[in-house]
Amino acid sequence: MGMVGEYQSVIQEVERLARARGLAFDPVIFQMTNSDEIAEVASMGLPNRFIHWYWGGTYKELVTQQNKEVFSILELVLNTVPSHAFLRSSNTYLQNVLVIAHVFGHADFFANNHWYRKSNKNMLNEAERHARLIRTYEQQYGKERVEKLLDALLTVSTSVNAFERNPQERRKRLIYSLEERAPLEDFERALLEAIREEAEYFDLIQRTHIINEGWATFVEAELLTRLLTAREWASISVQLCNRPAPYTIGYTLFKHVRDHEGFDRALEIRRFYEDVSLIDLTLTEELVRRLDIFVYDPKEKQKSYDLQKVKDMLIAQKLYKGEPRVEVDPSSQGRDLLLAHMDEDRKLEPKRIGLFLKAVHTLWRNPVKLRANGKVYTFDRRGLSST
Amino acid sequence: MKIHRGRIAQYKHDQLLREYLKQNLNDLIQQKELIVDGKVKTQIATLDLPTLKFGEEAQFLAQGAGGGASGGGASGSGPGGEQVQALGGLLGGDHHGKELHVELDFDEFVKLAQEVLLDELRLPAFHEPARSGEVESQDTPELDDLDRIGLRADLNLEETMVQSLLRNARERGVLDYDVDVQQDAWYFIEDPTTFQNNRSVEIYVLDISGSMRGEYLALVRKTIFILWHYLERRYPTNLRRYVVFQDVAEEKTRDEFFCVESSGGTHISTGFEKAVELLEGVTEYDKFLFMFTDGETSSGDFDLAKKKFEEAVAAFDLVSYGHVNPGGRGIGGFSEYVQEAAKSRGGAVFANLVDLETIRSAMKEFLAFFDGRTARRHAGALPR
Repeated sequence: MGMVGEYQSVIQEVERLARARGLAFDPVIFQMTNSDEIAEVASMGLPNRFIHWYWGGTYKELVTQQNKEVFSILELVLNTVPSHAFLRSSNTYLQNVLVIAHVFGHADFFANNHWYRKSNKNMLNEAERHARLIRTYEQQYGKERVEKLLDALLTVSTSVNAFERNPQERRKRLIYSLEERAPLEDFERALLEAIREEAEYFDLIQRTHIINEGWATFVEAELLTRLLTAREWASISVQLCNRPAPYTIGYTLFKHVRDHEGFDRALEIRRFYEDVSLIDLTLTEELVRRLDIFVYDPKEKQKSYDLQKVKDMLIAQKLYKGEPRVEVDPSSQGRDLLLAHMDEDRKLEPKRIGLFLKAVHTLWRNPVKLRANGKVYTFDRRGLSST
Repeated sequence: MKIHRGRIAQYKHDQLLREYLKQNLNDLIQQKELIVDGKVKTQIATLDLPTLKFGEEAQFLAQGAGGGASGGGASGSGPGGEQVQALGGLLGGDHHGKELHVELDFDEFVKLAQEVLLDELRLPAFHEPARSGEVESQDTPELDDLDRIGLRADLNLEETMVQSLLRNARERGVLDYDVDVQQDAWYFIEDPTTFQNNRSVEIYVLDISGSMRGEYLALVRKTIFILWHYLERRYPTNLRRYVVFQDVAEEKTRDEFFCVESSGGTHISTGFEKAVELLEGVTEYDKFLFMFTDGETSSGDFDLAKKKFEEAVAAFDLVSYGHVNPGGRGIGGFSEYVQEAAKSRGGAVFANLVDLETIRSAMKEFLAFFDGRTARRHAGALPR
């Protein structure tokens, strides 16, 4: 990891501009690094997180994409105090200037957004502590046992909800239900808590991805128009429209707010909103058309630009991460754990049901049932059966 | 010192992948289309965490291709052939639940398959005794000849481009330099007379008539992969050509050979005939023909097949005839004839391919060919 010597003055200049524009943030530590390291952090989510085979697949994919120049990650910034940001040494000077401005947008969002203000800013140290804990348990209980447990925990960890505070509602989510009721040994419970805590950290990122990236891109543009020459800015603004969907959607929404309601309203939105409220309250028919977003039906080969349909689908993506909505049935009180797929009209992939229930059974130890596809699937000591 | 966490995680991932593929090799090897775009594609998503997924094609959010969408996600063709790109990357952060379909380079797949098969079959290692009279030299060999096989560093760009031009003109009707290394490359090589002993030409002939059931394909492919293991150790350069036949025989590329559909009647004679035809102009030291068939040639073809078989035995150093017999039935038809003929003469071996155990016997017999070769060579080198 290298120093950012040649960028020091531009970092100071961008920071000055950002503060002058009304942004407020904790200190940001910039580090220069290479593509490989960025791919490593991006695949693991945090630089010192425990090592798991699952990140290995993502890492391999990212490195391959970067080598083929299909896709590159230009920057990475962590929601910690101070914030840590990574510049890529293979970026051009101008690309890194963009990254610096973008990073200050994120740092402002981390410091001011309602949900981020409440988030765990100590995750870098927490992740390190979890990694050490896992290494200790591996020595104590055997690598294989711990790895199997981690696989199961990571599988159920997608059911976290970083926003949910109502205990009744939380109990419907599998991981919280297991934390409360599963007959786990102490070390298993400690691992569950560690994985749940990390999953909540990532859940927050996922639930604010559009608004966070949109805001950072918006800030980037606001600052760079003041910093760059007209010619430089023209070439950069073309690139801004070519970014992944969350960036362009969020950026377009913030620009629309600024143009119609003023910059202060944009600041307010970045403070109080998350993705669902941003989409629900700011997406309009006109913007759907401008962004060319639609709901596509592959069977009928039909596009729909209907505002409500697009909104509903975007919101559902954010609420359930594009995965089936499976909840713990409130009647599930005894030895058996009963889960239910809430969107019964849609079929689940049968092959995965057995594997999923097996993972849950590893933690619950007693029979696990899932109501889905018009059947009740049961996984117990004898394996999978369905009625 | 930096700990490369990403690489350690990747190593763990790849270990699991290898283990999984080993367990599922039999299913994978039976895929009708084994190679797609140079890769062995699997439907395996096991290296994903086993989260639940929807099992049907459903509506999804998408963006017009010009809209700057990117990130992982399905793409398809919309109304009027317009590209539809699924909106990817909406979640960011951790990448849970993402489909990671396992794809392997064909060579990587073959290596893995060989590893599994050799382990299962407990086949002997291959040791070619040092050849007498050879001396090692530090001199850089003079690359004053051309060949279709060679090292990438020795590519003859000019010749390769001409080849590419001809192929594009032939196949696409355009005079375009669109080099496909597999098909177009020419390499500078040493004069063949100085290393002829290291080169083989292998012609693989596959009967695609009748039912090419999963097990039929599995037996053929497993046998070929194990053959490759030995042949690659014996011959540093292997020129491989592929033929499929039913009523007529056709040369295929490697990728096509591993993706053929069954069809038509059976004329074994055409397979032998095409193989002999492909020998024209070949300068390789050892010439092998590997025939895979169920032996049920059309009744009118029997005598011609006998004649063509004899011609092949005369033209090749070894004709290896695999009677693909997944059901383990009795040997009849043309295979019965070859089985008898192979007993009485050199230059031909017969293998009844029923299961792994019979592949093992076939390999032992095949390796005996090299022992014979070595013995003859040593005998020839002895002072009289």
